[in-house]
Amino acid sequence: MTPIGLIFCIVGVPFLILLVYIMITGSTGLRRYIITRIGLTLPMVFIMGSMVFFIMHVLPGDPITSALGPKATPEIVENIRESLGLNEPLIVQYGVFLKNMITLDFGNSLVGGHRPIIDEMSERFPATLELVIPAAILALMIGIIGGTFAAAKRKTARDYSLRIYSVIIYSLPIFWFGLMLQLLFGVVLGWFPISGRIDPVIGTTLEHVTNIYSIDAFISRNWLALYSVIRHLVLPTLTLGLILSGVFLRMTRINVIETLQTDYIAAARARGIREHAVVYQHALKNAMIPVITLIGLQVAILLAGAVLTETIFSWPGMGSYLVLRISARDYNAVQSVITMFALLVAFISLAVDIIYSLLDPRVKY
Amino acid sequence: MPNKDNGNPNANNEAWRNELQQVGFVRRLFQARKWYGADWWFVAISTAMVFGFIFVALFPQWLAPYRFDTIVGTSFLAPGEYPDLPMLITRTDSPTNSLQDLAVGANADRPVIGAIRGSPSAVAINEQSQIVDEQLVSGNSGLRLRPRIERYVTIPALLDAITAGEVAAGVANESEFEEYSGDYPELHSGTTISGGTATAGGFVMGTNDIGQDVLSRLIWGTRVAIVIGFSSSIISLLIGLPLGLLAGYFSGKADRTLSLVMDSLYAFPGLILAIAITAVLGPSIYNVIVAIAVLYIPTYYRIVRGQTMTVKEEVFIEAAQSIGARRWEILWRYVFPNVIPSVAIIFSINVADAILTGAGLSFLGLGLPPTIADWGIDLARGQRHIQTAWWLITFPGTAIMLIVLAFTMMGEGLMEIFNPKLRER
Repeated sequence: MTPIGLIFCIVGVPFLILLVYIMITGSTGLRRYIITRIGLTLPMVFIMGSMVFFIMHVLPGDPITSALGPKATPEIVENIRESLGLNEPLIVQYGVFLKNMITLDFGNSLVGGHRPIIDEMSERFPATLELVIPAAILALMIGIIGGTFAAAKRKTARDYSLRIYSVIIYSLPIFWFGLMLQLLFGVVLGWFPISGRIDPVIGTTLEHVTNIYSIDAFISRNWLALYSVIRHLVLPTLTLGLILSGVFLRMTRINVIETLQTDYIAAARARGIREHAVVYQHALKNAMIPVITLIGLQVAILLAGAVLTETIFSWPGMGSYLVLRISARDYNAVQSVITMFALLVAFISLAVDIIYSLLDPRVKY
Repeated sequence: MPNKDNGNPNANNEAWRNELQQVGFVRRLFQARKWYGADWWFVAISTAMVFGFIFVALFPQWLAPYRFDTIVGTSFLAPGEYPDLPMLITRTDSPTNSLQDLAVGANADRPVIGAIRGSPSAVAINEQSQIVDEQLVSGNSGLRLRPRIERYVTIPALLDAITAGEVAAGVANESEFEEYSGDYPELHSGTTISGGTATAGGFVMGTNDIGQDVLSRLIWGTRVAIVIGFSSSIISLLIGLPLGLLAGYFSGKADRTLSLVMDSLYAFPGLILAIAITAVLGPSIYNVIVAIAVLYIPTYYRIVRGQTMTVKEEVFIEAAQSIGARRWEILWRYVFPNVIPSVAIIFSINVADAILTGAGLSFLGLGLPPTIADWGIDLARGQRHIQTAWWLITFPGTAIMLIVLAFTMMGEGLMEIFNPKLRER
């Protein structure tokens, strides 16, 4: 089984089971909401795919000629165009593109071994996951704790300093922040390695099952490898996680402030509940609901940030694959990676919205 | 903090609300200082920063010590470090002070200059004396400079030869000469062989891998950042704002379709879309501007559409309708002015985002041709030398951060000031 299939089994199958369970037991309103939400995702995927097709096929610029360079004879160019189906009418190409997008069959790469692109992606996708998930968790933790704290201490020096933190962290270019972390902790202090996923020597002892190295090391009880993997993860995770934390901090702060002004909080205070409990138990729970929707929107920023983070830390994930293939002018792979990103964003925001509808009983469509 | 002077904060609030009704926009901004506290400072400081950056972008030639593409020193000079230039070393009693002094008539004996075998200064003396010679020839002074280079293995051997008068002058790097100058009191260093004095150099932010001044590139790079930020934001404003107004006002099937397209575009990871567009179109500043403009159309569209839909329900629109105002008139005279404040906020934050995205693109080597002075390109170049030259990545990144911070803070502060409801919630 390919790693991507395994990940689908781990993440996708429970989600599908959950979905089926909701559809059977949920209320009519909830069921209708989920059906509408899925109904909205499909045109979105279709539009995103069409945008990718438009960019890659309709915009001026001939990727094949530029890929092969000036030495290629017209016959060679013609042959490759023929084999990729680029000489067909645009509408036919569009049909083929959509079919390939649905079946996830992206054809072979144009350079280096000409392997199927889906295989290359499934080797690299776990690396992206290994980077993105801890970063998102870090960002959420900082954002929720900091945002609630700032809201509770509103208009004090602590609130203002947390707000300035969120503005500054939002203004930091992610690639520069990564470079500065590399400079400080990698070069000057020498605490953490600045590139790669695992020490190459230790890497040879690791069995690759899921290609998520920390899980692989954990399964095979290879503690030395786990240590190395975690050390390599620290800087990229900090880069991505801290940059994202600013948005979550602001969002949590505003929502907690809003919630603190509602009547039920006034009632809780009137009952003499301690302020700490009011903020962290009564207000936070309700304030979290809009923040969860925000996670869905942040997936796009997370993935874009991952492209830059992976490039800086030579992290062999989807993002660095995209950049690598652009410089190799492998236009087939570029198109496939971007389509894959679009699919990911669409389905993750679908999943987040469905979870949201379970948490917030007010959702009606 | 506000409200300190008054025992009843609500009465005070009423007072300033009434005051607010009467004053114009500029006074409103200044009065804001009273009740917005820190936010007023946000706006004041960030506005000053924004205008500062715009000034730098308009007149980099006045501020930058050098042009962005001239090679002005040796490579990898740390900030404040003096370039270790090859110096002309002569006896203190000799009249020779610079290379020009060594020039002789066309048929006279050629002067002998000592150098260290295989050192950079030996290469430099060859090149520099050729340059001086060409100047002399074109000046028709009848003098030529075609020195014979005598090569020595060590510095002391060279210095001994100068002392003994075997050669008319010697060439060594400043630091090499300083090491031994104590042992040779009868020698002194004249000028650098290119004519200047050595200590006049030194670069505030150091030099990069090919000897360009980092500070000058930083100052010239402001222009690219400002141009990309403003022009792409203006393009997306000009497309997104009318679409949003129309869609919000005449909601219907067209609105729903357009919203779906815009939502899809909005959900797409922005940088990745920009990467795709620039990868296909090729590196050029126009393509970067177009790619970034496309990304931010949905931001304007969504906000303007939402705002329009809210304003549409207000009583004054109904009043305008009842006195027989036409739809276009309502849209232009009553809805549009109410949308402007939020558009101003978005524009400010959008410029910041566009600069970040543009820098990200050129960092990946996709946005701009590498000859342009751009912070993203400088960062990408600096990354290769992260182990040796910290100043190559520190300064351009700080510049990006400051410019983005200025625009973001301005947007944030404007948001609080334009929208007192948000503050008083």
